[in-house]
Amino acid sequence: MESEVNSILVAAHELKAPLALLRQLTLSLEDADEENCLKIRSQMVDISDRAIRQVNDLTKIAHLEDGLFAMEPVAIRSVCDDVVRELEHLFRFNHRNLQTTYTNRSRLVFANRELLYSIIYNFCINAMHYSDTETLSELRVKDYYDKVRITVRDFGPALPVDVWRSIKKGWVSKPVSITMRPGSSGLGLYIASKFSQYMDANVGAIRHRDGTSFFVDFKISKQASLF
Amino acid sequence: MIFIIDDDRIMAECIARSCKGGTRIFSNAIDAMNAIDDELPELIFLDILLDGPDGFTFLEELNSYSDTVKIPIVVVTSLNIKPQTLINYGVRRILDKTTMTPDDIRKEVLNVQK
Repeated sequence: MESEVNSILVAAHELKAPLALLRQLTLSLEDADEENCLKIRSQMVDISDRAIRQVNDLTKIAHLEDGLFAMEPVAIRSVCDDVVRELEHLFRFNHRNLQTTYTNRSRLVFANRELLYSIIYNFCINAMHYSDTETLSELRVKDYYDKVRITVRDFGPALPVDVWRSIKKGWVSKPVSITMRPGSSGLGLYIASKFSQYMDANVGAIRHRDGTSFFVDFKISKQASLF
Repeated sequence: MIFIIDDDRIMAECIARSCKGGTRIFSNAIDAMNAIDDELPELIFLDILLDGPDGFTFLEELNSYSDTVKIPIVVVTSLNIKPQTLINYGVRRILDKTTMTPDDIRKEVLNVQK
């Protein structure tokens, strides 16, 4: 019961941040000139979109047990391209760059497109938040034995050891507050872990001296690769 | 010059707009500390949860030097921090990100400029 309450508190705290931002932006509209008004409106839309996505993801977790998300062969590069396209504007606005590197020969993995999209999106948002200004975040897709590995590398503070250990074990069982990485990474990791678990994929992280790589491994769809 | 230290760029810009004067935005405590070596700000708006060293570490650092200890600090956070916790750091006021208004920011700026 106590851990459930803690989980709710962490989720509530992380969802409080976009609401506080929207409130500040609304208040600052009063004094803004026309040019600033347009900028503020665009920021409000971006923040709302991200918050709605996070709430939607949390709702999806509740529906995972019902098996509502069909597994099928998914073109991995196409999903990555769509995520990059959606986040391009946000990265540019925050003075960050997102670079993609595809070296995978296998094109199809066995997954649910919607959940896969959410995992990559959450990793990329996390990388944007924790990278320094004008630095690069990397989205890499490569073959890894009989799997395809999608990695998002950021150049920010190192992940605390306890969180890294819990990810190494396979998944994060509840939303955790990551004190060295304030913001949404705790909740994002929890969401990514739950979705990966559902799709029988492995989520993990590699600690670097100057940042962290989050990855997820998907089984290659052998059936579809016969076509 | 007013320094704003917040890892959330949009929140930092909101504070800067309310200041209506010369501001510099820093996303982490290390960059801000380096800038303070060159220029003493007249006021600092400081977030507590930052990437890398947090706001408390930054306050400790400011308290270590006779010139920086006098810089007025306003903490801007969504954490529930008791004022007593920060009283020894010379923090003027704690503003809650979820309830503060542009007027609260402007009031603090006017106070130091008086």
